[in-house]
Amino acid sequence: MLVRESVISETAKESPLLMASTLKPQSGGVGRVMMAGVMLTSLVDAFSILVIYLLVSSSNSGEMLYISKDMVLPDARQTTVLERTTIVKVEDDKYFIEEKEVPAKSLVTTLLDIRETLEKSGDKTKESLTIQADKRSKYSLLNAVILASSHAGFSDIKFAVLAN
Amino acid sequence: MAHKEKSLDNEVNLVPFISLLSVLICSLLLSAVWIQIGAMEVKQSVGGQAQTDSKKNPVVFARFLKDGDVEFRLKDAGKISRKLKIVKLDGIDGKLNIEATASHIGELVKQVPGLNMALIQPNSDSLYENIIKLMDQFRENGVADLGISPL
Repeated sequence: MLVRESVISETAKESPLLMASTLKPQSGGVGRVMMAGVMLTSLVDAFSILVIYLLVSSSNSGEMLYISKDMVLPDARQTTVLERTTIVKVEDDKYFIEEKEVPAKSLVTTLLDIRETLEKSGDKTKESLTIQADKRSKYSLLNAVILASSHAGFSDIKFAVLAN
Repeated sequence: MAHKEKSLDNEVNLVPFISLLSVLICSLLLSAVWIQIGAMEVKQSVGGQAQTDSKKNPVVFARFLKDGDVEFRLKDAGKISRKLKIVKLDGIDGKLNIEATASHIGELVKQVPGLNMALIQPNSDSLYENIIKLMDQFRENGVADLGISPL
C-alpha cells in the first residue's frame, strides 16, 4: 500500500524478471511479448569469476618440475611451498641436474660449479637444492645426491612431494 | 527542423563477451595444473662445529632396519623411562607402520617437552616413500628440525 501511494512507485524500476515473464509480463506495455529474454548479466558475472579464479590458480602453481609419466612422487601432509632452486632429478638410476644428465662421479663438481655461480649472482636460494625422485626409489640412489650436496655446500635440501 | 529524440538506453551486446569468456575458461581448464607439489625440507650440517659450543638438546635417532622396521633411540633426554629410550617398530609389508609410528612419536613429544630434533638414518634398501612418511610424522608431531644421514 505504502509503495503504491508514495513517490517510490513512480521512481522504482520494474523488475526485469517480471518483465521477462511469458505468462504475465508486467512491463507496463500494452501487448504481451511472447519472447523471453535470457538474463545474461549473471552468466557474465559467473564466467568472469571463473576466469579470474583459473588465472590466479594457474599463475600460482608455476611449472617448476617436469614430472615424467612413470615417476610417482611420495605424498606428505606437512609440506612447505616449493621454491625455484637447483633441481636434481633421480630417474632410472640416472642423475639429472636441471634436466641435464650428469654421471654420479661428476655430481659434486657440477653442484660446486652451480653453487659458485649462485654465490656470484647473489641468489637467495644459493644454499637450497630440490631432490625429485620416484617414491619407490631406494635410498642408495639418493645417497649420492645428499652426499654431493653436502660437499658442495647445499645445506637446505628439499624433497619434492605431493601435497595432500 | 524537428528531430526525433534519440533513446539513450543502449544495451551492450554481451554475446561476443560471453563467447570470449567461454573460450578463455576452456583453455584455462585444459592448461590448469591440478597436482599440488610441495617440499619436505631437511637441514644438513655443512662443516664442523666445536662440541663445547653446542648445547645438548634432546634428539631422537630413527634408524631404518629391513622391511620398513624402524628403531627409535632417544639421546640427551634427561630422566625418562627406559621403555621409551629404545623402541623398535615393525613395518607392514615392507612399509612403515604409520599408526604405530605416529603414536610413538606423539608419546615421545609428550614425555620430552623440548624434543625438536630428529635424525633419520636410512639404510641402502630403505624406500624413499618410507623416509618421507617418517619425516611427515615427525613434522606432524611438532619435531621440526629434521636431518638425514648419508650412508
